[in-house]
Amino acid sequence: MKFRILLAALSLFALATRAVSADDLAIDEIVQRANHVSYYEGKDGRARVNMVITDAQGRTRTRRFTILRWDEPGPDGQQVDGDQRFYVYFDRPADVSKMVFMVHKHLDRDDDRWLYMPSLDLVKRIAATDKRTSFVGSDFFYEDVSGRRLSDDKHELVETTDNYYVVRNTPVDKSLVEFAWYKVWIHKTTFLPIKVEYYKADGTKYREYSAEKVDQIDGHWTVTKSKMSNLETGSSTEMSYSEVRYDVGLNGDIFTERYLRKPPRKFLR
Amino acid sequence: MHHAHKPGRVVSACSNHPRFVTWVMIAVTVVLAVLAGVPTLFPDAAPMLNGLKVDTDPENMLAEDEPVRVFHEQAKKRFGLHDIIVLGVVNEKNPDGVFNVDTLGDVYELTKYAETLRDKAIGVDDPEAGVVRVDVISPSTVDFIESAGVGTVRFDWLMPEPPKSRKEALAVRDRARRIPFLNGTMIADQTDEALCLYIPLTDKHLAHRVAVRLQEEIAKLKRTGSGEEYHITGLPVAEDTFGVEMFRQMAISAPLAMLVIFLLMWYFFKKITLILPPMIVAVVTAVITMSLLVISGQTVHIMSSMIPIFLMPIAVLDAIHIISDFFDRYGETRDRRSTIIAVMHELFGPMLYTSLTTTAGFASLALTPIPPVQVFGIFVAIGVMIAWVLTITFIPAAIMFIPESRLADIAGAHGKVEAEAGSPMARVLTLAGRLTYARAGVILLLTVIAMGVSAYGIGLIRINDNPTKWFEPNHPIRVADRVLNKHFGGTYMAYLELDAPEIDTDVHAFAEKVKQDLKSGMGDVDAAGVADRLDAEIDRLASTAGSPWDLLASAQSFVGDRLDTCPDEEYDAWDAAATALGEARSRFEVFKQPEVLRWMRRMQDHLETVRGDRGEQIVGKSNSLADIVMTVHRDLLGGTDDQYRIPDTPAAVAQCLIQFQSSHRYTDLDHFVLRDQSDPKVHFRRSCLWVQLTSGDNRDMEAVTRSLDRYVAEDPPPGGLTYRWFGLTYINVVWQDKMVSGMLQAFLGSFLVVLLMMIVLYRSVLWGILSMIPLTVTVAWIYGLIGIIGKDYDMPVAVLSSLSLGLSVDYAIHFLSRSRVMRTRFGSWRDTVGPVFGEPARAITRNAIVVGLGFLPLLAAPLVPYQTVGVLIAAILLTAGASTLVLLPALMRYLERWLFSQKIEGAISCRWATCASAAVVLLGVIAVNVHQFLGEPMIVWVSLGLMPVAVVVCYVVSRRRSCADAGNAQGGVS
Repeated sequence: MKFRILLAALSLFALATRAVSADDLAIDEIVQRANHVSYYEGKDGRARVNMVITDAQGRTRTRRFTILRWDEPGPDGQQVDGDQRFYVYFDRPADVSKMVFMVHKHLDRDDDRWLYMPSLDLVKRIAATDKRTSFVGSDFFYEDVSGRRLSDDKHELVETTDNYYVVRNTPVDKSLVEFAWYKVWIHKTTFLPIKVEYYKADGTKYREYSAEKVDQIDGHWTVTKSKMSNLETGSSTEMSYSEVRYDVGLNGDIFTERYLRKPPRKFLR
Repeated sequence: MHHAHKPGRVVSACSNHPRFVTWVMIAVTVVLAVLAGVPTLFPDAAPMLNGLKVDTDPENMLAEDEPVRVFHEQAKKRFGLHDIIVLGVVNEKNPDGVFNVDTLGDVYELTKYAETLRDKAIGVDDPEAGVVRVDVISPSTVDFIESAGVGTVRFDWLMPEPPKSRKEALAVRDRARRIPFLNGTMIADQTDEALCLYIPLTDKHLAHRVAVRLQEEIAKLKRTGSGEEYHITGLPVAEDTFGVEMFRQMAISAPLAMLVIFLLMWYFFKKITLILPPMIVAVVTAVITMSLLVISGQTVHIMSSMIPIFLMPIAVLDAIHIISDFFDRYGETRDRRSTIIAVMHELFGPMLYTSLTTTAGFASLALTPIPPVQVFGIFVAIGVMIAWVLTITFIPAAIMFIPESRLADIAGAHGKVEAEAGSPMARVLTLAGRLTYARAGVILLLTVIAMGVSAYGIGLIRINDNPTKWFEPNHPIRVADRVLNKHFGGTYMAYLELDAPEIDTDVHAFAEKVKQDLKSGMGDVDAAGVADRLDAEIDRLASTAGSPWDLLASAQSFVGDRLDTCPDEEYDAWDAAATALGEARSRFEVFKQPEVLRWMRRMQDHLETVRGDRGEQIVGKSNSLADIVMTVHRDLLGGTDDQYRIPDTPAAVAQCLIQFQSSHRYTDLDHFVLRDQSDPKVHFRRSCLWVQLTSGDNRDMEAVTRSLDRYVAEDPPPGGLTYRWFGLTYINVVWQDKMVSGMLQAFLGSFLVVLLMMIVLYRSVLWGILSMIPLTVTVAWIYGLIGIIGKDYDMPVAVLSSLSLGLSVDYAIHFLSRSRVMRTRFGSWRDTVGPVFGEPARAITRNAIVVGLGFLPLLAAPLVPYQTVGVLIAAILLTAGASTLVLLPALMRYLERWLFSQKIEGAISCRWATCASAAVVLLGVIAVNVHQFLGEPMIVWVSLGLMPVAVVVCYVVSRRRSCADAGNAQGGVS
């Protein structure tokens, strides 16, 4: 889920006191747990997001939307950290109100994406092999919202600090992404990624993520404010999460084309 | 001359202490050179001093606070626009043009390389400086959108990696063709033979560095046989390269001018000993003046870089007269001291006046509104006076260094050649002298005809400039310009900002409108009195809200809260209210309104029909927000051409734009429309149109602006939009306008100043006017010719008019002064002509040749404006010399009776016609010149009003008794 994906500038002090000795964890375990706390907490979830995009000159644009998330259960109904569905319903600004963006995330093939534009009364499938394009004009990419597959990168634990595992991730297929590598600071206790830095091949850092606020909600550590900065344009985007709830009882049917035109109001209000 | 005793004292003092004079001159020169040189070479050694500052930016032709520049900077910043280097790739050999595997592979590599050109890679120590990576336009850096089968749309990089097959290469072309933003901008629209990379820079002054790096890389990349050619152009490159070439010009032309002057003087005077002092005066003058320029903190600009080459010929002028005269007389006395004193006695007046008139001519450039031209004029004026001081002090001193024995030898040689009057030049002049008397009528008739032709030619003058054409036709920048503009919609960018008018801030009126909107928006979905509650809330808000948008924002959040919390049965009503409020708000967002976008596209269509005077299309292409919306709309709705249109509601426009931003280049929209939701006064209320011109000619840009003005009058933009141009191509037009009117004023100003000086010098209106005739005829003739041969009236041509005036009046002064003296001696003009065409005419001819040819080395300069200056000033000086020698004697033959009828010495106040005209001209000078500095338009009217008063006062004053007495004493003033 978006609000888990993003790493948290935690109230580290409190967390550090609870730190467990996990220095001996294997890298695969670290990234899997980080992936889980970022995207797979609970069976489903919802959150309202306020997004503020601020450009280099301090001009702002805002968007407000509600995200619903549902995880496909395993054959026996258990949690498998596998395919997921996302439903993103916009209500502000007024002229994009009721616009819906829907994703079926697959681990073994390209995602399916749909877009509903109410003013044109149009449902479109979006064919995108490339998930690293801007999410509705913000500095976040689609992939930041739905999560990047673990198998897309090679992971390497480059440093272990008092509070963080610092993991360097190198893409398996360089041609699909604009970065040469990225570094993630994964908090040792919560396994939330708190900071991510993206690098070009020549070593310049051009993009940066940080979790600005973390709360514990329904027992799940949750990033409630996150920020993505584009260091090349000087633009940055802040997402604030409110009304975050887990296990709200969504079912998979909501995440189908039928519901694009007829939003499931009871989950969105 | 009146004050002959004063120069006499100076000259004798200088000739008594030649060493002292020389040391003082050397000391002053060295001190100034050090003051200028040290901070230049060692900037840290003397931080309080100004070092050499170079400015190659034609934008600085306008003052920095000039409104058009201020707006240009603001608008560029607002829309995140940068100055652009255009890298063109042309392949005319491959049947697929540039769309083949090799060429696109090279383009891919080159783009990657261009993106690294920042910071130390281009030799600057600033990680922020260089290529603006995110805004590079190249096949591998842009997105495309396409309809991919039923119900599906695809977004992707246009060329994520180099194509591996012919099919893939052609696919790049086919996709780009479908994107209007790219077609005609990034790829040629008529052929497959060309594509362009647009490489934006953080600062246009980096253009040359970046261009050089790119050229090096291209040389490495080029695969033999693939047939690609690369061209680099764009105004920033042209302008920046110009600065580099400027220094080459200074290094070549100035020394070459020295050499030419040296050779000519050597030819005329035979002995090097003799011509060394004038050469020293020339060099010292140039060094002192340039040092002063640097010390005073002025920049070396396109104009001021020409100061040395202007000063050197002018500086030797007076010295030539002295030396010429010295050796004519030395033979008689054989005493260098008494000879030089006698020579200076005779020449002091004419030299002073010629220097003053030249100074006035250049100083008048201070009246132009163009800072670099002002600096140029003022410093040449200072240099001319420095040269004059050096001439009357150092030349006599220098002559005292030459032993009498050497002088005797030289005088002999000189006497033989010149005194016998047997040289070809002397023979031609003698013949010319006779003709001016015998055929005076024919000469005047021919002059009248020539003036008629000139008037016709001046009527044909075409005002135009184009910084790209400052390079010679075979310069790579010119070649690139021709080739690329043949294939593309144009590489010259101008921008048009469209602004929505201020929002009416009457909150109550707005509240009423909102209530109306709600009523019609909610219609029959109202439930449980939602509309009434909302109306009440809006009335409440209207009494507290500070502005319409505050009211709306409060109302929206009120409705938003209800939507979150209201019972289900009210939901639809609140929802409809939210929609209605959203629509009310979107009315502020002018550039989401379909009718506004449709108007923009219509206006663009019109711009693309503007033709130049050769019938060619000037605007090859334009890009706007409308094009973006139409493209996205088309591909969202199946990709067929009939969907290439603006959708019908603002919300549909907004949703198309959200899609446009869901790309890799999500900030691109900022280049076309201003977005800031925190400021409703600007949010979607300012838009920027990119207009690509195929030519950087100012007249073409002007044709576009005029055509837009006419179009807007016929098809006014919806919602009272206003528009304003910016961009380098447009700025050039503005400074050209200023230059043309400014130069006319400067010319008029210096004409009046010089006329006033002539009237005072000759104590006669008639003589004053006579002395202005040769240069007037010359300037008219030269400008008439410029009109007839179709040479554009550009920056150098404009500048020349007023500065040539001060120079070419010299010949008339020398001619008339000498003629007046000789006529008194010989009694009639008929008998005077012969002697006047002896030594005086020879001195004038030599001068015209030395100075005129002295400017010709500018022809060796690699840049066209310098060449223009060289050719024109040589032509003006030679023509002025010739017309002085032909026209003045012819006129004097007819005017003899009036010119010599009276003895014209004595107080000017006693000669009422002279006094009155001098006063009128003086008031004219004040009207034209002085008000420029004081900025008080009343001065003009006061001056004009005082003219008749001055005439009356002069008349009254001239009738006073003391005048009558003085007149009688002098032999009668009639």
